[in-house]
Amino acid sequence: MTPAQINPTPPVEALPTPEIQPFTAEPIRYVAEDGLPIHTLPAAYTPERLRELHGVMLRAREFDRKLITLLRQGRTTFYAQSSGMEATQVGLAHSIRPGHDWVWPYYRDHTLALALGVPMFELISQVLGSNSDPSRGRQMPHHFAARKQHFVSISSSIANQVPPATGTAMAQKYLGTDEITVCTFGDGATSEGDWHAGMNMAGAMAAPCLFVCENNQWAISTNLRGQTASENIHIKAKAYGMPGFYVDGNDIVAVMEVCTHAAEWVRAGNGPALVECLTYRVGSHSNADADAEKHYRTREEVQEWLGRDPVVRVEKLLEHLGHPIESRERADMIAAVHRDVDEQVIRAEATGQPDWRIMFEDVYSDMPAHLREEAAMLRAEQEGERK
Amino acid sequence: MTATQERQDMKAASEPRTINLITAVTEALHEEMERDSRVVLFGQDVGARGGVFMATAGLQATFGKERVFDTPLSEASIVGAAVGMAVRGLRPVAEIQFADYMGPGFDQIISQAAKMRYRSGGQYSAPLVIRTPSGGGVKGGHHHSQSPESYYTHTPGLKVVMPSTPYDAKGLLKAAIRGEDPVIFFEPKRLYRASKGEVPGHDYTVKIGEAAVRREGSDLSLIGYGGVMPDLERAADALETEGVSVEVIDLRSLVPWDRELVVDSVQKTGRAVLVSEAPRISNFMGEVAYAIQDAAFDSLLAPIGQVAGFDIPYPYVQDKIYLPGPNRITAACVQALNY
Ligand SMILES: Cc1ncc(C[n+]2csc(CCOP(=O)(O)OP(=O)(O)O)c2C)c(N)n1
Repeated sequence: MTPAQINPTPPVEALPTPEIQPFTAEPIRYVAEDGLPIHTLPAAYTPERLRELHGVMLRAREFDRKLITLLRQGRTTFYAQSSGMEATQVGLAHSIRPGHDWVWPYYRDHTLALALGVPMFELISQVLGSNSDPSRGRQMPHHFAARKQHFVSISSSIANQVPPATGTAMAQKYLGTDEITVCTFGDGATSEGDWHAGMNMAGAMAAPCLFVCENNQWAISTNLRGQTASENIHIKAKAYGMPGFYVDGNDIVAVMEVCTHAAEWVRAGNGPALVECLTYRVGSHSNADADAEKHYRTREEVQEWLGRDPVVRVEKLLEHLGHPIESRERADMIAAVHRDVDEQVIRAEATGQPDWRIMFEDVYSDMPAHLREEAAMLRAEQEGERK
Repeated sequence: MTATQERQDMKAASEPRTINLITAVTEALHEEMERDSRVVLFGQDVGARGGVFMATAGLQATFGKERVFDTPLSEASIVGAAVGMAVRGLRPVAEIQFADYMGPGFDQIISQAAKMRYRSGGQYSAPLVIRTPSGGGVKGGHHHSQSPESYYTHTPGLKVVMPSTPYDAKGLLKAAIRGEDPVIFFEPKRLYRASKGEVPGHDYTVKIGEAAVRREGSDLSLIGYGGVMPDLERAADALETEGVSVEVIDLRSLVPWDRELVVDSVQKTGRAVLVSEAPRISNFMGEVAYAIQDAAFDSLLAPIGQVAGFDIPYPYVQDKIYLPGPNRITAACVQALNY
């Protein structure tokens, strides 16, 4: 495609704002799979900016790779990759003001967390359950909380963050702040009653909440077709009285544009909105189902999506714009992340494991008598054993 | 098949075999589906994948997608649909991926399944089975380690079962599927592969509501169920080397539970130590303790001992220390013996 053929009108500007969206069958896309722009890129996407975004995505990709290695070495017990979903999470991050807006995430959102500025050291500490874990070793690997970034604690129970996200948004409205709430979930989550209840309430209450479906097309072994008979997820927004946007989740430019647009719409007091990012989970659901290809999906499908790799797409775009990332430069970037992770793992492991005594803290704001008794009992037992 | 072949097969089928607990579950499901075409099986990932723990592996290939199928990710729909199917005459066996995720289906369990027979004056019933892995010891953090049985034992209308051996798992699951009531069937996940034992080659069931005496003894009754049972055995071994005779009882089912066997045992031994890994407050063993003091007060030589989980959300890093292992159990027994 030559630049002359590029559609000069960015699709986001074409979206009607205050009223409910006309639903689109095809996701909004700015950059084609081969890296050529389909629409004129908004001026903000200078080569420098695109390189920056590429850097964050590559960092997240390599973080995943290193953590899988950690898992294989038996240094942690669980990991759920977000490889393939970098454009969705990094793109979404850019519509969120870290530490200002509030986020109710789900467990696959560590790339979002990194992009929002949660320090890698904190994430690694949490995955290792080390003493430096801000969540104090209480939850499974990467079910973390980061107060500074307003990243609320992750519950493993699918979709049960949705009604609380609506509540946070209602509180923001009540308090008259200019914050919004962002709530993320997978495609599978949209089958749960909690999802529908939370969406409905948000619509009825005009709560300033941006709902983002990271549609990676699989919920462990169930694909979208097994999950719902509706064409896609974003059309469900209509039932709850909010606009629904459909975006190519592997196109960082499109995700940023659409999420920013939707977030602004929410911020302006119009009520909630839903964005569906169509993407793909390239790896297995978690280390517990490393056999995905054997049981429920085909190698061809995975190959096809590997061809839509969001990180590679930015590289192709940069090449097209005449600012390629040289292979040496890329290798150096990767090596730097690996060194970084290695160092931080050593640093986190050196802090040791949280003491058993803290087991009894944080259950309540003050420790009731029965927990003091249980702690004393365990202390006697532990000290007796050490003798 | 020739007559001789058939006889040979039957002979092979009647040999007892040693299997693990999860295989016992799979075999029970397989045999019940073969026996009764009304039995259908569904949940998340139970089909092609065979369940997150592989308990349903191979069943879809054998019985087809009509009888073994994946549902949308919605426990309310899974349990609610099971209720509707049961009312209409099927025998649904639903899998909930982890006991920790029954929450979204809780209302359907307690408001529909449990009360169907009673509120309709016996006109309707909901004979369904909900199978779910529970308990800790697998480094799963609180969302993959909890022991929520007391929420369900507190609801009249439900039967609540938790086996600890392959024999019981198979026999109790078959009984649950053949029964006329809704059954919550907890499978102690840390015993899935760790618990091995013999099962008969022929069809059998284990009656829901009967406890099992794992070993006879005269000095103390050590009572538990589910994932803690191997630790009870270890504690009993340790005490026996000190000359203490311990009676070990596996409750196997909590509603209904074997009050008579427990009371008889405590009347004989005079001492009871109750073990479970669920948090202590509102723990089902509080019910057992009440029954013992009510019916065997005069026989008690020591206060009833209890070993339970701590009253905290199940922690990730301190996974092992949370569980009432053999040492904590032995200590409670020694305390009762020295009273
Ligand atoms: C209430 C509940 N039911 C079941 C599970 C088990 N489980 C964990 S992740 C998962 C699939 C979720 O899929 P999706 O929402 O699409 O997110 P993805 O993992 O694909 O990003 C399931 C079934 C759970 N965590 N919570």
